[in-house]
Amino acid sequence: MIVNAELFVKDLPGQLVGSLEPVSMVNGNIMGVVHNREQIINNRICINITFEVDDNSQVEGLKNIWKSRDIVISRIGSVYETFTMDYLLIGDLDASYIEGIIDEASKTISLEAVDVRYSSKTVDPSKRTGMISVKARSEEDLDRLDGLLNDVCRKSGIVYVRGV
Amino acid sequence: MRLFICGFGTVGQGFAEVVASRKGFFEERFGEDVTIVGAMDSRSYVTSQDGLDPMSIVIGKAENGRVGPDGYDDPLAVLDSVDYDILVEVSPTDVKTGGTGLITIRHALECGKDVITVNKGPLALRFRELMDLAESKGCMLRFEGSVGGAMPIINLCRENLAGENIRSIRGIFNGTCNFILSKMDNGQPFEQALKEAQQMGYAETDPTNDIEGYDSACKVVILANSVFGRDVTFDDVEITGITSITEGAIALAKSRNMVIRLIGEVSDTKLSVGPRLIPRGHALGLSGTLNTAQINTDLAGPVTVQGRGAGRMETASAILSDLVAIMEARR
Repeated sequence: MIVNAELFVKDLPGQLVGSLEPVSMVNGNIMGVVHNREQIINNRICINITFEVDDNSQVEGLKNIWKSRDIVISRIGSVYETFTMDYLLIGDLDASYIEGIIDEASKTISLEAVDVRYSSKTVDPSKRTGMISVKARSEEDLDRLDGLLNDVCRKSGIVYVRGV
Repeated sequence: MRLFICGFGTVGQGFAEVVASRKGFFEERFGEDVTIVGAMDSRSYVTSQDGLDPMSIVIGKAENGRVGPDGYDDPLAVLDSVDYDILVEVSPTDVKTGGTGLITIRHALECGKDVITVNKGPLALRFRELMDLAESKGCMLRFEGSVGGAMPIINLCRENLAGENIRSIRGIFNGTCNFILSKMDNGQPFEQALKEAQQMGYAETDPTNDIEGYDSACKVVILANSVFGRDVTFDDVEITGITSITEGAIALAKSRNMVIRLIGEVSDTKLSVGPRLIPRGHALGLSGTLNTAQINTDLAGPVTVQGRGAGRMETASAILSDLVAIMEARR
């Protein structure tokens, strides 16, 4: 998960490093730092940090370290990255079949957005095409969707083409 | 260095020409000649312990349709009739049994000879057995040209990227399929695109191996075994060909600014060949007959290579790189 935090640190040498170091201590990955010297409150300057961690327990650990170092956390929140993937299904299918698969997937997989396009121009019903474009919270969600689609299509004799 | 060339079709002839044209290079770099002491095609053979003139064999094959005047029943007896250092095995691929290539490679290794091959069949079916045999006999078995033709990938992964943790390789490993799909990008139906590929000499009269993904599957197996240290065979690959790709599917992909390409994917856990949606402009979305591969590594990040996947001189170039590597090692 990606997290953004707004911190206020004392305007003293070493305070910036002192606020960044704990991110590494919890095995987080710093993605961006803005040192906002114009924004000063109670002799503290504002630092905005964006970092990536695996789960919430690391964020909790980080908050404790910052507090122990007299760093004020004015705001902290998750910024979820979305992962996009497209899938093509070719075969004897129709719009309701695709909707059915999406409904099935949504029961166990967290999908942010789903866009379905369906083409039935061909007279041959075995060559109809559906395209599913998905935004998911994580790559794991996409992997699970990939597994589900692969499985369903294989059983139904439908050709399944996924993105890379 | 004495070579025996098994298989004297397009690739064998191309390599013989390369041996002739690089005579000065071998002398300068290694201080020795590379000579061809034997050549064998499906029907005939020619040998000379003093060395054959490479261009004479090529011309003879072109004029007579056979490599030498004498026929044979037992290819191993022909191999044993002359003393050679390296077997260059470039006979036609047989994915089902490994064909003559498997027999001659195995025999050469058992006799303690180094082997260079571009023959996918034996490697896709018996990779581990052949590598173990080579190791037990202190021989080298090299096969750069078996995947991607002139595009360097196996030696790149095993030598130049040695020490890297290679996470995955995915790529276009069949120029015929890529040509067909590229034509379909422009609205041509599959059947027409295939026919054009056949007329231009990119596809065989029986295109099954290409369009059903079998050729790419062999290459994926070779990569899995040689780069990822896996022990898999052709039967382990999840294969989907391109015959089901419709104009409607191409059009839908296009509406999302994507193309469809036949992609082989291999990693520690993955082993598949199938059509994939590729964003336009992506390294794997190239058009035409080229091959390409994206190697994902932990230190260097993605490394992309691209080159001609087949052809007389292109494949001969890959064999040459293996020959140079063996000569360096044996120096």
